[in-house]
Amino acid sequence: MSGTSPALIAAREADAAAASAVKALQASGRLDDARERYSELVARHQRRASRIAYHYLRDAAEADEAVQDAFIKAYQHLASFREELPFDVWFTRILINGCLDRIKARTRRERWLLPMSGQSGPATADGTTTERDVTERVPAGGQSPEQALLGRERRQQIAAALAKLPERQRSVFVLSHVEGRTSREVSALTGLNESTVRVHLFRAIRKLRGMLANDRVAAAPGELKGRRRVTS
Amino acid sequence: MSLLERLGRGHLTDRDFANLWVASESAAGTSDPHLDACAACRARYDAFERWIVGVGNELRAEADEAFPADRLSAQQAQIARRLETLERPARVIAFPKAARAVISGNSHVRRWVTAAAAAGLIAGVGLGQIVPLRTAIQVKPRAATSTPAQLTAHETQQIAQQLTPEATLRNDEDVLSEAFARPRISTLSALDDMTPHARDTVLNHRGK
Repeated sequence: MSGTSPALIAAREADAAAASAVKALQASGRLDDARERYSELVARHQRRASRIAYHYLRDAAEADEAVQDAFIKAYQHLASFREELPFDVWFTRILINGCLDRIKARTRRERWLLPMSGQSGPATADGTTTERDVTERVPAGGQSPEQALLGRERRQQIAAALAKLPERQRSVFVLSHVEGRTSREVSALTGLNESTVRVHLFRAIRKLRGMLANDRVAAAPGELKGRRRVTS
Repeated sequence: MSLLERLGRGHLTDRDFANLWVASESAAGTSDPHLDACAACRARYDAFERWIVGVGNELRAEADEAFPADRLSAQQAQIARRLETLERPARVIAFPKAARAVISGNSHVRRWVTAAAAAGLIAGVGLGQIVPLRTAIQVKPRAATSTPAQLTAHETQQIAQQLTPEATLRNDEDVLSEAFARPRISTLSALDDMTPHARDTVLNHRGK
Protein backbone atom coordinates (compact mmCIF):
# COMPACT_ATOMS: atom_id res chain seq x y z
CA MET A 1 0.00 0.00 0.00
CA SER A 2 2.94 2.29 0.13
CA GLY A 3 3.95 3.99 -3.04
CA THR A 4 1.62 5.32 -5.67
CA SER A 5 -0.74 3.35 -7.86
CA PRO A 6 -0.44 3.53 -11.68
CA ALA A 7 -3.92 5.07 -11.87
CA LEU A 8 -2.90 7.82 -9.51
CA ILE A 9 0.31 8.42 -11.46
CA ALA A 10 -1.69 8.74 -14.66
CA ALA A 11 -4.17 11.09 -13.01
CA ARG A 12 -1.37 13.26 -11.73
CA GLU A 13 0.25 13.43 -15.12
CA ALA A 14 -3.06 14.53 -16.58
CA ASP A 15 -3.38 17.16 -13.84
CA ALA A 16 0.12 18.47 -14.49
CA ALA A 17 -0.59 18.70 -18.22
CA ALA A 18 -3.87 20.53 -17.66
CA ALA A 19 -2.34 22.92 -15.13
CA SER A 20 0.55 23.73 -17.51
CA ALA A 21 -1.89 24.32 -20.36
CA VAL A 22 -4.02 26.66 -18.24
CA LYS A 23 -0.92 28.58 -17.19
CA ALA A 24 0.18 28.98 -20.80
CA LEU A 25 -3.28 30.09 -21.89
CA GLN A 26 -3.47 32.61 -19.05
CA ALA A 27 -0.07 33.99 -20.02
CA SER A 28 -1.09 34.37 -23.67
CA GLY A 29 -4.30 36.15 -22.72
CA ARG A 30 -6.64 33.44 -24.02
CA LEU A 31 -8.73 33.51 -20.91
CA ASP A 32 -11.83 31.79 -22.27
CA ASP A 33 -9.74 28.80 -23.28
CA ALA A 34 -7.94 28.88 -19.95
CA ARG A 35 -11.23 28.70 -18.07
CA GLU A 36 -12.45 25.92 -20.31
CA ARG A 37 -9.34 23.89 -19.63
CA TYR A 38 -9.44 24.65 -15.93
CA SER A 39 -12.97 23.24 -15.70
CA GLU A 40 -11.40 19.81 -16.36
CA LEU A 41 -9.35 20.14 -13.21
CA VAL A 42 -12.40 21.33 -11.30
CA ALA A 43 -14.46 18.35 -12.44
CA ARG A 44 -11.69 15.94 -11.51
CA HIS A 45 -11.09 17.23 -8.01
CA GLN A 46 -14.31 18.76 -6.77
CA ARG A 47 -15.79 15.62 -5.19
CA ARG A 48 -12.65 14.88 -3.23
CA ALA A 49 -12.34 18.54 -2.29
CA SER A 50 -15.95 18.62 -1.12
CA ARG A 51 -15.39 15.59 1.09
CA ILE A 52 -12.34 17.11 2.72
CA ALA A 53 -14.04 20.46 3.26
CA TYR A 54 -17.13 18.76 4.64
CA HIS A 55 -15.14 16.78 7.19
CA TYR A 56 -13.33 19.91 8.28
CA LEU A 57 -16.33 22.22 8.48
CA ARG A 58 -19.21 19.78 9.15
CA ASP A 59 -21.57 22.00 7.17
CA ALA A 60 -22.43 21.35 3.53
CA ALA A 61 -23.13 24.98 2.58
CA GLU A 62 -19.93 26.26 4.13
CA ALA A 63 -17.95 23.40 2.62
CA ASP A 64 -19.40 24.28 -0.77
CA GLU A 65 -18.23 27.87 -0.40
CA ALA A 66 -14.81 26.78 0.80
CA VAL A 67 -14.37 24.53 -2.24
CA GLN A 68 -15.42 27.31 -4.60
CA ASP A 69 -13.05 29.76 -2.97
CA ALA A 70 -10.19 27.27 -3.15
CA PHE A 71 -10.71 26.67 -6.88
CA ILE A 72 -10.89 30.41 -7.57
CA LYS A 73 -7.76 31.03 -5.54
CA ALA A 74 -5.91 28.20 -7.27
CA TYR A 75 -6.86 29.60 -10.68
CA GLN A 76 -5.68 33.07 -9.72
CA HIS A 77 -2.38 31.81 -8.37
CA LEU A 78 -1.73 29.11 -10.92
CA ALA A 79 1.33 31.04 -12.11
CA SER A 80 3.01 30.22 -8.81
CA PHE A 81 2.28 26.48 -9.15
CA ARG A 82 5.38 24.36 -9.63
CA GLU A 83 4.87 21.29 -11.80
CA GLU A 84 7.19 19.12 -9.73
CA LEU A 85 4.57 19.10 -6.98
CA PRO A 86 1.33 17.22 -7.74
CA PHE A 87 -1.55 19.59 -8.48
CA ASP A 88 -3.88 17.81 -6.04
CA VAL A 89 -1.42 18.25 -3.19
CA TRP A 90 -0.96 21.94 -3.98
CA PHE A 91 -4.68 22.48 -4.35
CA THR A 92 -5.59 20.50 -1.22
CA ARG A 93 -3.22 22.64 0.79
CA ILE A 94 -5.03 25.76 -0.42
CA LEU A 95 -8.33 24.14 0.49
CA ILE A 96 -7.23 23.07 3.97
CA ASN A 97 -5.86 26.54 4.74
CA GLY A 98 -9.18 28.02 3.64
CA CYS A 99 -11.09 25.59 5.84
CA LEU A 100 -8.91 26.37 8.85
CA ASP A 101 -9.48 30.10 8.30
CA ARG A 102 -13.21 29.50 8.22
CA ILE A 103 -13.07 27.45 11.42
CA LYS A 104 -11.18 30.27 13.12
CA ALA A 105 -13.70 32.84 11.90
CA ARG A 106 -16.57 30.64 13.06
CA THR A 107 -15.01 30.24 16.50
CA ARG A 108 -14.66 34.00 16.79
CA ARG A 109 -18.27 34.47 15.70
CA GLU A 110 -19.65 31.86 18.05
CA ARG A 111 -17.86 33.47 20.97
CA TRP A 112 -20.37 36.31 20.72
CA LEU A 113 -23.47 34.28 19.95
CA LEU A 114 -25.68 32.37 22.29
CA PRO A 115 -26.48 28.84 21.19
CA MET A 116 -30.10 28.45 20.17
CA SER A 117 -32.06 25.38 21.09
CA GLY A 118 -33.09 23.36 18.08
CA GLN A 119 -30.74 25.37 15.93
CA SER A 120 -30.51 24.06 12.43
CA GLY A 121 -27.28 24.17 10.57
CA PRO A 122 -23.69 23.37 11.17
CA ALA A 123 -21.88 21.70 13.90
CA THR A 124 -22.94 21.41 17.48
CA ALA A 125 -20.40 21.02 20.21
CA ASP A 126 -19.91 17.34 19.61
CA GLY A 127 -19.68 17.76 15.87
CA THR A 128 -23.07 16.34 15.02
CA THR A 129 -25.61 18.30 13.07
CA THR A 130 -29.12 18.88 14.26
CA GLU A 131 -30.22 20.02 10.83
CA ARG A 132 -30.51 16.78 9.01
CA ASP A 133 -33.53 14.91 10.03
CA VAL A 134 -33.61 11.38 8.76
CA THR A 135 -36.75 12.08 6.77
CA GLU A 136 -34.98 14.84 4.88
CA ARG A 137 -32.67 12.43 3.22
CA VAL A 138 -33.65 10.05 0.53
CA PRO A 139 -32.28 6.65 1.41
CA ALA A 140 -29.69 5.18 -0.87
CA GLY A 141 -30.99 2.86 -3.56
CA GLY A 142 -32.12 -0.51 -2.28
CA GLN A 143 -32.05 0.48 1.42
CA SER A 144 -35.10 0.06 3.56
CA PRO A 145 -36.05 3.04 5.76
CA GLU A 146 -34.88 1.07 8.80
CA GLN A 147 -31.49 0.38 7.25
CA ALA A 148 -31.19 3.99 6.24
CA LEU A 149 -32.01 5.09 9.78
CA LEU A 150 -29.46 2.72 11.30
CA GLY A 151 -26.85 3.76 8.78
CA ARG A 152 -27.57 7.38 9.53
CA GLU A 153 -27.22 6.87 13.27
CA ARG A 154 -23.96 5.02 12.80
CA ARG A 155 -22.56 7.80 10.63
CA GLN A 156 -23.58 10.37 13.19
CA GLN A 157 -21.78 8.42 15.91
CA ILE A 158 -18.64 8.16 13.83
CA ALA A 159 -18.80 11.82 12.84
CA ALA A 160 -19.29 12.83 16.48
CA ALA A 161 -16.33 10.73 17.55
CA LEU A 162 -14.20 12.20 14.77
CA ALA A 163 -15.20 15.70 15.80
CA LYS A 164 -13.94 15.03 19.33
CA LEU A 165 -10.42 14.38 18.09
CA PRO A 166 -7.85 17.16 18.31
CA GLU A 167 -7.60 19.13 15.07
CA ARG A 168 -4.34 17.65 13.83
CA GLN A 169 -5.37 14.09 14.55
CA ARG A 170 -8.64 14.66 12.77
CA SER A 171 -6.92 16.19 9.74
CA VAL A 172 -4.44 13.36 9.51
CA PHE A 173 -7.14 10.71 9.92
CA VAL A 174 -9.42 12.26 7.31
CA LEU A 175 -6.67 12.72 4.75
CA SER A 176 -5.23 9.30 5.40
CA HIS A 177 -8.34 7.15 5.83
CA VAL A 178 -11.07 9.03 4.06
CA GLU A 179 -8.98 10.34 1.18
CA GLY A 180 -6.49 7.49 1.08
CA ARG A 181 -3.35 9.63 1.23
CA THR A 182 -0.01 8.21 2.22
CA SER A 183 1.87 9.57 5.22
CA ARG A 184 4.22 11.37 2.88
CA GLU A 185 1.35 13.07 1.11
CA VAL A 186 -0.35 13.96 4.36
CA SER A 187 2.97 15.40 5.48
CA ALA A 188 3.12 17.55 2.35
CA LEU A 189 -0.48 18.63 2.77
CA THR A 190 -0.36 19.52 6.43
CA GLY A 191 3.24 20.65 6.73
CA LEU A 192 3.85 18.11 9.50
CA ASN A 193 6.81 15.80 9.72
CA GLU A 194 6.15 12.35 8.27
CA SER A 195 6.81 10.57 11.55
CA THR A 196 4.60 13.09 13.34
CA VAL A 197 1.85 12.24 10.88
CA ARG A 198 2.15 8.58 11.79
CA VAL A 199 2.04 9.37 15.51
CA HIS A 200 -1.10 11.48 15.04
CA LEU A 201 -2.66 8.74 12.95
CA PHE A 202 -1.90 6.12 15.56
CA ARG A 203 -3.39 8.27 18.32
CA ALA A 204 -6.44 9.09 16.24
CA ILE A 205 -7.13 5.40 15.59
CA ARG A 206 -6.68 4.54 19.25
CA LYS A 207 -9.05 7.28 20.37
CA LEU A 208 -11.66 6.44 17.78
CA ARG A 209 -11.46 2.80 18.72
CA GLY A 210 -12.05 3.77 22.33
CA MET A 211 -14.93 6.12 21.58
CA LEU A 212 -16.61 3.71 19.21
CA ALA A 213 -16.06 0.67 21.39
CA ASN A 214 -19.60 -0.57 20.87
CA ASP A 215 -19.54 0.16 17.22
CA ARG A 216 -18.09 -2.51 15.01
CA VAL A 217 -18.64 -1.22 11.52
CA ALA A 218 -17.55 -3.97 9.23
CA ALA A 219 -16.36 -3.41 5.74
CA ALA A 220 -17.15 -5.97 3.11
CA PRO A 221 -14.19 -8.34 2.66
CA GLY A 222 -13.60 -7.14 -0.89
CA GLU A 223 -13.14 -3.57 0.29
CA LEU A 224 -10.06 -4.44 2.27
CA LYS A 225 -8.04 -5.05 -0.86
CA GLY A 226 -8.12 -1.42 -1.88
CA ARG A 227 -7.89 -0.39 1.74
CA ARG A 228 -6.78 3.21 1.90
CA ARG A 229 -6.38 3.90 -1.77
CA VAL A 230 -9.46 5.87 -2.55
CA THR A 231 -10.21 7.43 -5.85
CA SER A 232 -13.20 9.64 -6.49
CA MET B 1 8.37 -3.71 21.27
CA SER B 2 10.43 -6.81 20.77
CA LEU B 3 9.16 -10.22 19.78
CA LEU B 4 10.05 -11.67 23.16
CA GLU B 5 8.05 -8.99 24.91
CA ARG B 6 5.05 -9.67 22.70
CA LEU B 7 5.27 -13.43 23.09
CA GLY B 8 5.72 -13.08 26.81
CA ARG B 9 2.75 -10.75 27.11
CA GLY B 10 0.37 -12.92 25.17
CA HIS B 11 -2.04 -11.87 22.46
CA LEU B 12 -1.87 -8.59 20.60
CA THR B 13 -3.95 -5.67 21.82
CA ASP B 14 -5.84 -2.95 19.95
CA ARG B 15 -2.87 -0.71 20.53
CA ASP B 16 -0.63 -3.20 18.73
CA PHE B 17 -3.12 -3.46 15.90
CA ALA B 18 -3.19 0.31 15.50
CA ASN B 19 0.58 0.36 15.54
CA LEU B 20 0.77 -2.38 12.94
CA TRP B 21 -1.84 -0.66 10.79
CA VAL B 22 0.05 2.63 10.75
CA ALA B 23 3.39 0.91 10.19
CA SER B 24 2.03 -1.18 7.35
CA GLU B 25 1.43 1.96 5.35
CA SER B 26 5.04 3.06 5.27
CA ALA B 27 6.61 -0.38 4.86
CA ALA B 28 4.71 -2.64 2.51
CA GLY B 29 4.04 -6.12 3.81
CA THR B 30 4.93 -5.36 7.41
CA SER B 31 4.08 -8.39 9.43
CA ASP B 32 4.27 -9.41 13.01
CA PRO B 33 5.59 -12.84 14.05
CA HIS B 34 2.86 -13.32 16.60
CA LEU B 35 0.20 -12.29 14.11
CA ASP B 36 1.51 -14.78 11.60
CA ALA B 37 1.58 -17.53 14.19
CA CYS B 38 -1.61 -16.88 16.14
CA ALA B 39 -4.86 -17.53 14.31
CA ALA B 40 -6.92 -15.79 17.01
CA CYS B 41 -4.91 -12.59 16.73
CA ARG B 42 -5.04 -12.77 12.93
CA ALA B 43 -8.82 -12.99 13.10
CA ARG B 44 -8.99 -10.06 15.51
CA TYR B 45 -6.63 -8.05 13.35
CA ASP B 46 -8.81 -8.71 10.31
CA ALA B 47 -11.82 -7.51 12.29
CA PHE B 48 -9.87 -4.42 13.30
CA GLU B 49 -8.96 -3.80 9.68
CA ARG B 50 -12.58 -4.18 8.61
CA TRP B 51 -13.65 -1.79 11.32
CA ILE B 52 -11.20 0.92 10.32
CA VAL B 53 -12.00 0.58 6.63
CA GLY B 54 -15.69 0.68 7.53
CA VAL B 55 -15.20 3.93 9.43
CA GLY B 56 -13.51 5.46 6.39
CA ASN B 57 -16.31 4.23 4.14
CA GLU B 58 -18.99 5.63 6.40
CA LEU B 59 -17.32 9.02 6.52
CA ARG B 60 -16.96 9.08 2.74
CA ALA B 61 -20.59 8.04 2.32
CA GLU B 62 -21.72 10.78 4.66
CA ALA B 63 -19.83 13.43 2.71
CA ASP B 64 -21.08 12.08 -0.61
CA GLU B 65 -24.61 12.17 0.71
CA ALA B 66 -24.17 15.86 1.51
CA PHE B 67 -22.82 16.46 -2.01
CA PRO B 68 -25.00 14.66 -4.53
CA ALA B 69 -24.27 14.90 -8.26
CA ASP B 70 -26.63 17.82 -8.89
CA ARG B 71 -25.01 19.83 -6.14
CA LEU B 72 -21.59 19.19 -7.62
CA SER B 73 -22.84 20.31 -11.05
CA ALA B 74 -24.22 23.50 -9.53
CA GLN B 75 -20.93 24.03 -7.75
CA GLN B 76 -18.99 23.63 -10.99
CA ALA B 77 -21.28 26.10 -12.78
CA GLN B 78 -20.88 28.57 -9.94
CA ILE B 79 -17.10 28.30 -10.10
CA ALA B 80 -17.21 28.92 -13.87
CA ARG B 81 -19.40 32.00 -13.34
CA ARG B 82 -17.13 33.38 -10.66
CA LEU B 83 -14.06 32.86 -12.82
CA GLU B 84 -15.77 34.67 -15.68
CA THR B 85 -16.70 37.67 -13.57
CA LEU B 86 -13.21 37.70 -12.14
CA GLU B 87 -11.68 38.52 -15.51
CA ARG B 88 -14.35 40.92 -16.73
CA PRO B 89 -13.50 44.57 -16.03
CA ALA B 90 -15.85 46.39 -13.73
CA ARG B 91 -18.75 48.08 -15.57
CA VAL B 92 -19.14 51.80 -14.99
CA ILE B 93 -22.74 52.76 -14.40
CA ALA B 94 -23.82 56.02 -16.11
CA PHE B 95 -25.02 58.78 -13.86
CA PRO B 96 -28.83 59.09 -14.07
CA LYS B 97 -29.99 61.79 -16.56
CA ALA B 98 -32.95 62.83 -14.45
CA ALA B 99 -30.72 63.87 -11.57
CA ARG B 100 -28.59 65.98 -13.94
CA ALA B 101 -31.64 67.84 -15.33
CA VAL B 102 -32.78 68.82 -11.88
CA ILE B 103 -29.40 70.21 -10.91
CA SER B 104 -28.40 72.12 -14.08
CA GLY B 105 -31.58 72.94 -15.99
CA ASN B 106 -31.79 76.05 -18.28
CA SER B 107 -35.50 76.57 -18.03
CA HIS B 108 -37.25 79.95 -17.74
CA VAL B 109 -38.57 78.96 -14.34
CA ARG B 110 -35.04 78.70 -13.00
CA ARG B 111 -34.22 82.21 -14.28
CA TRP B 112 -37.37 83.69 -12.79
CA VAL B 113 -36.71 82.05 -9.46
CA THR B 114 -33.18 83.48 -9.41
CA ALA B 115 -34.37 87.00 -10.35
CA ALA B 116 -37.13 86.95 -7.73
CA ALA B 117 -34.69 85.82 -5.04
CA ALA B 118 -32.26 88.64 -5.96
CA ALA B 119 -35.04 91.25 -5.99
CA GLY B 120 -36.30 90.07 -2.62
CA LEU B 121 -32.83 90.35 -1.18
CA ILE B 122 -32.29 93.90 -2.50
CA ALA B 123 -35.72 95.05 -1.28
CA GLY B 124 -35.04 93.55 2.14
CA VAL B 125 -31.70 95.34 2.48
CA GLY B 126 -33.16 98.69 1.35
CA LEU B 127 -36.10 98.47 3.73
CA GLY B 128 -33.74 97.61 6.52
CA GLN B 129 -31.84 100.85 5.89
CA ILE B 130 -35.00 103.00 5.94
CA VAL B 131 -36.88 101.52 8.88
CA PRO B 132 -34.93 101.46 12.16
CA LEU B 133 -36.11 98.01 12.94
CA ARG B 134 -33.38 97.43 15.41
CA THR B 135 -34.37 100.28 17.67
CA ALA B 136 -38.07 99.38 17.44
CA ILE B 137 -37.40 95.86 18.41
CA GLN B 138 -34.93 96.73 21.13
CA VAL B 139 -36.39 96.22 24.58
CA LYS B 140 -35.32 98.47 27.41
CA PRO B 141 -33.79 96.62 30.24
CA ARG B 142 -35.98 96.39 33.25
CA ALA B 143 -35.08 98.18 36.43
CA ALA B 144 -33.65 95.92 38.93
CA THR B 145 -36.38 95.00 41.36
CA SER B 146 -36.22 92.68 44.18
CA THR B 147 -38.68 89.88 44.31
CA PRO B 148 -40.14 88.87 47.68
CA ALA B 149 -37.90 85.87 47.67
CA GLN B 150 -34.82 88.08 47.39
CA LEU B 151 -35.76 90.37 50.30
CA THR B 152 -34.02 89.94 53.58
CA ALA B 153 -35.92 89.82 56.83
CA HIS B 154 -34.79 93.35 57.71
CA GLU B 155 -36.02 94.81 54.37
CA THR B 156 -39.37 93.08 54.75
CA GLN B 157 -39.78 94.63 58.17
CA GLN B 158 -39.03 98.14 56.81
CA ILE B 159 -41.63 97.79 54.08
CA ALA B 160 -44.19 96.67 56.62
CA GLN B 161 -43.51 99.77 58.75
CA GLN B 162 -44.01 102.07 55.73
CA LEU B 163 -47.53 100.74 55.31
CA THR B 164 -49.33 102.89 57.91
CA PRO B 165 -52.47 101.61 59.54
CA GLU B 166 -54.39 104.72 58.36
CA ALA B 167 -53.73 103.91 54.76
CA THR B 168 -55.11 100.46 55.17
CA LEU B 169 -58.16 101.62 57.06
CA ARG B 170 -59.46 104.22 54.57
CA ASN B 171 -63.15 103.96 53.79
CA ASP B 172 -64.78 103.60 50.40
CA GLU B 173 -65.72 107.29 50.15
CA ASP B 174 -62.09 108.34 50.38
CA VAL B 175 -61.06 105.90 47.77
CA LEU B 176 -63.77 107.07 45.37
CA SER B 177 -63.07 110.75 45.94
CA GLU B 178 -59.41 110.09 45.27
CA ALA B 179 -60.33 108.31 42.05
CA PHE B 180 -62.52 111.26 41.03
CA ALA B 181 -59.79 113.75 41.83
CA ARG B 182 -57.93 115.41 38.99
CA PRO B 183 -54.84 113.74 37.78
CA ARG B 184 -51.59 114.82 39.29
CA ILE B 185 -49.64 114.62 36.07
CA SER B 186 -49.45 118.14 34.64
CA THR B 187 -48.88 117.09 31.04
CA LEU B 188 -52.19 115.26 30.98
CA SER B 189 -54.24 118.13 32.45
CA ALA B 190 -55.20 119.51 29.01
CA LEU B 191 -56.54 116.20 27.92
CA ASP B 192 -58.33 115.81 31.22
CA ASP B 193 -60.08 119.15 30.76
CA MET B 194 -61.51 118.11 27.39
CA THR B 195 -62.80 114.81 28.68
CA PRO B 196 -66.19 114.55 30.46
CA HIS B 197 -65.88 113.10 33.94
CA ALA B 198 -68.14 110.94 36.00
CA ARG B 199 -67.36 113.21 38.94
CA ASP B 200 -69.02 116.22 37.18
CA THR B 201 -72.06 114.16 36.32
CA VAL B 202 -72.46 113.10 39.93
CA LEU B 203 -72.01 116.67 41.25
CA ASN B 204 -74.53 118.03 38.78
CA HIS B 205 -76.99 115.39 39.79
CA ARG B 206 -76.48 116.26 43.45
CA GLY B 207 -76.88 120.02 42.74
CA LYS B 208 -80.25 119.48 41.13
